[in-house]
Amino acid sequence: MVKYIHLIPLFPFLAFAINIVFGRRLKKISALLAISACVISFVLSVLTFLSCANGNTISYTFIKWLDFKNTSLDFGVMADPLSCMMLLVVSIVGILVQIYSVSYMRNDTRFSRYFAYISLFMASMLALVLADNFIMFYICWEAVGLCSYLLISFWFERASAAKAGLKAFITTRIGDTGLFIGILILFSLTGTFNFNALAQHTSGNGAMFGVAAVLIFCGAAGKSAQFPLHVWLPDAMEGPTPVSALIHAATMVAAGVYLIARVFWLFLGNQPALMLVACIGAATAFFAASIATVQNDLKKILAYSTISQLGFMMMGLGVGGYSEGTFHLMTHAFGKALLFLCAGNVIHTARTLDIRRMGGLFSKLKITGITFIIAGSSISGLPPFSGFWSKDDIILETLHSGHPFLFSLSIITSLLTAFYIFRMIFLVFFAKACLPEHAKESLSALTWPLIILAFFAVFAGFLGSPFMNYAFQKFFYSGGGHALVVTNSDYFMMVFLACVSLAGILVAYSFYVLNNKILPLPLRAKFSGLYNILYNKYYLDEIYEFLFIKPCLRIANAVLKFDANFVIEGTVNIITRAVSIFSRLLRAAQTGFISNYLLAALLGVLFMVVIKSAGIKICVFQF
Amino acid sequence: MIPESHFLILGAILFSIGLFGALTQRSIIGILMSIELILNAACINFVVFDKFLGNSDGLGQIFVLLVIAIAAATLVVGLALVIAVYRSSKTVSAEDINLMKW
Amino acid sequence: MSGLIQQLNNIGIPQENIIKVTFYLIAAVTCFFALRIVISRNVFHRALFLALTLIGVACVYLYLGAEYLAVMQILIYVGAIVALFVFVIMLTTKIQNRAIRQLNSQVLISVVVTSALLCLLISIIRTSPWHKPVLPPAGLLNISQLGRSLALNYVLPFEVVSLILLAALVGAIAIGKAKKE
Repeated sequence: MVKYIHLIPLFPFLAFAINIVFGRRLKKISALLAISACVISFVLSVLTFLSCANGNTISYTFIKWLDFKNTSLDFGVMADPLSCMMLLVVSIVGILVQIYSVSYMRNDTRFSRYFAYISLFMASMLALVLADNFIMFYICWEAVGLCSYLLISFWFERASAAKAGLKAFITTRIGDTGLFIGILILFSLTGTFNFNALAQHTSGNGAMFGVAAVLIFCGAAGKSAQFPLHVWLPDAMEGPTPVSALIHAATMVAAGVYLIARVFWLFLGNQPALMLVACIGAATAFFAASIATVQNDLKKILAYSTISQLGFMMMGLGVGGYSEGTFHLMTHAFGKALLFLCAGNVIHTARTLDIRRMGGLFSKLKITGITFIIAGSSISGLPPFSGFWSKDDIILETLHSGHPFLFSLSIITSLLTAFYIFRMIFLVFFAKACLPEHAKESLSALTWPLIILAFFAVFAGFLGSPFMNYAFQKFFYSGGGHALVVTNSDYFMMVFLACVSLAGILVAYSFYVLNNKILPLPLRAKFSGLYNILYNKYYLDEIYEFLFIKPCLRIANAVLKFDANFVIEGTVNIITRAVSIFSRLLRAAQTGFISNYLLAALLGVLFMVVIKSAGIKICVFQF
Repeated sequence: MIPESHFLILGAILFSIGLFGALTQRSIIGILMSIELILNAACINFVVFDKFLGNSDGLGQIFVLLVIAIAAATLVVGLALVIAVYRSSKTVSAEDINLMKW
Repeated sequence: MSGLIQQLNNIGIPQENIIKVTFYLIAAVTCFFALRIVISRNVFHRALFLALTLIGVACVYLYLGAEYLAVMQILIYVGAIVALFVFVIMLTTKIQNRAIRQLNSQVLISVVVTSALLCLLISIIRTSPWHKPVLPPAGLLNISQLGRSLALNYVLPFEVVSLILLAALVGAIAIGKAKKE
């Protein structure tokens, strides 16, 4: 067995190191370095996938880090079907987004630093999916969060971007705390960090394992923007659009889903924890979809769509669908990344983010428009695009596992998803034109990645469909020790779901194309209260500000005042006052009277005589 | 006849009185007088030991002569200083001359 | 004087006792005068009592058999130094300040410390093993022997003291000189 798997994250990391140090001199070559490093990683990932195709898992340790009495911390890799799938997705999307960025960021002054950060992100993400123990996983988890922060606030001259980066980091940090506590609980219960070794402990399914599972889900909820830690994702749209495509649509936010899948045996043994995952996922999906229906900012719609689809993935995992959730992860990655890259083109052409001010772009941006529609259809669950197969799998799973409430909620959410996606499409591309005359299709570097991603968006779904005999699911289950759930083809459900998506599209069509925005306005007037709540994201940001942020800032200010005025000043003042008191005491001896000095001299002599006559020895002064 | 310890005790008493004067006099001239008394007390000691440690060649008495001479020299310079101080500040009180105070 | 002692001897009072009694008398008087130096109100009285104390010390020298020293003491100390004191007193004391308080604020501490020192010295003196009291020894020093040792054995300190006196002379003139306006 050739041990090359641990080199997969190494090449992007080298690209990061070179770009950070020599970036200013390299300028455009830094992009070449970054992309070629990712290509090498992609090739290695393909090789890894091929060697795991039979379902065997490769795992080995490549660095021994710390050795304790009972345990040791190492860096090791584990390549099982889940990791291989993630490797392929991450590297493909990464390469395409970086090619897009070459053109998108070509006028930016910090061009090479952008590619350095992207390379660091790729290295961390690849290492994350290859990690074989919790400690290495957590390190990469934090590194990925760091890169997210760096890239969100890439244009940090804008105050809003800097604040958004901070918000993202702090919100995910709250989740990470739970994750770390969960890791430590697992360690205290089992004495190991290694995933393989932990999976052997499925027998000890007590309450503490459940607590650990819930805490680990906290971490996943932070990274994957589940309610209530989702507030950072819409603000993260301040970053460059390729960053949104790569990190906040395809890969980083999928890390949470990957985590749940990685320790799925833990959740399988604790049904309450699993139900929690499913419920929060479903709630998040519905919640975000409802907000997305009334947003007017193009990227914000996509952000809420991401949150909603992540909720879907969590729900899929939560009802026991190990392969369904991860399948949706894969199809969503391609579709959402494609959507973001197209959005980048659209925004660049229309010079605005507001979809109410766009319109009629289809005639100008043919390629972008077509790929946008393909991606939107995939996300909405329209057959035969890939999103349909994965969403269908999840909804079927909810029904077969006996959760009717979740089933109905997910149907409603699918309806809403189709509605807002196509609302966006109609308003941007087919509404009345109101854009400047010189708009044209973008450069080829910006369109070729779109075409390739569209290819994946169309055809990647077939892997898990009946057409290819559920190859994806079979591949997945061959690796782990989970029982293979027989997936029968429920054709009735498939048709039903397709009709649901079509219904959503029709509603959007009637609202925005037929009546040309006339109908929505009276509706909005009638339901103005509901509209306001949805438009303001259920006022969640304001609630957080009131409950947590303002008191925290107040406490911090009070502590600062106490520290600066009392502790630091007090210490300095005490020292100065002590010195002045002491000096005043000593000064009293300098009276200037000769008689006093004589008396002092006499007292000294008497003292020495007394000491001598008493026979006391004082160090070396023995008289 | 008279044991030497009695002479020495006389010297000790004179020394203490002179010391008391040196510590408590207000006028510089009083301090100088007390110092003379101290010196004389010490001279008594010298002469006592010169007599009571037999076969001396008069070292004690010679010492006292020299002490008298040096005391005179000291006193001369000291009183010249007193006059100079009096000329500048019109006082010879030890409490008023406190330029060395902080 | 010796006739008086002879008469007293005939009565039956031995010579030693006379010497002893007179010594203690003179010693007590000297101490009294010394105390009056520091406690007088009038500064001229202080100078007077200084002179008397020095004369008393000269008498003590006589009891110790140092006649030349006693005479020198009276000549130099009482004759010259006390006169010098009186000169300076006349030059520096305002007439109306003659009777002000002359003891400063340290009196109490000084009394305590000085009496402590005195007790210490007396205790040391009394507990030390001294020689037996002897009559005036055979080798009583006379002035010629004193002169011989001064000129032969201790000529160096003698010459150095003359230098010191010269320096003191020059210094006193330099310090005490009136400033040229």
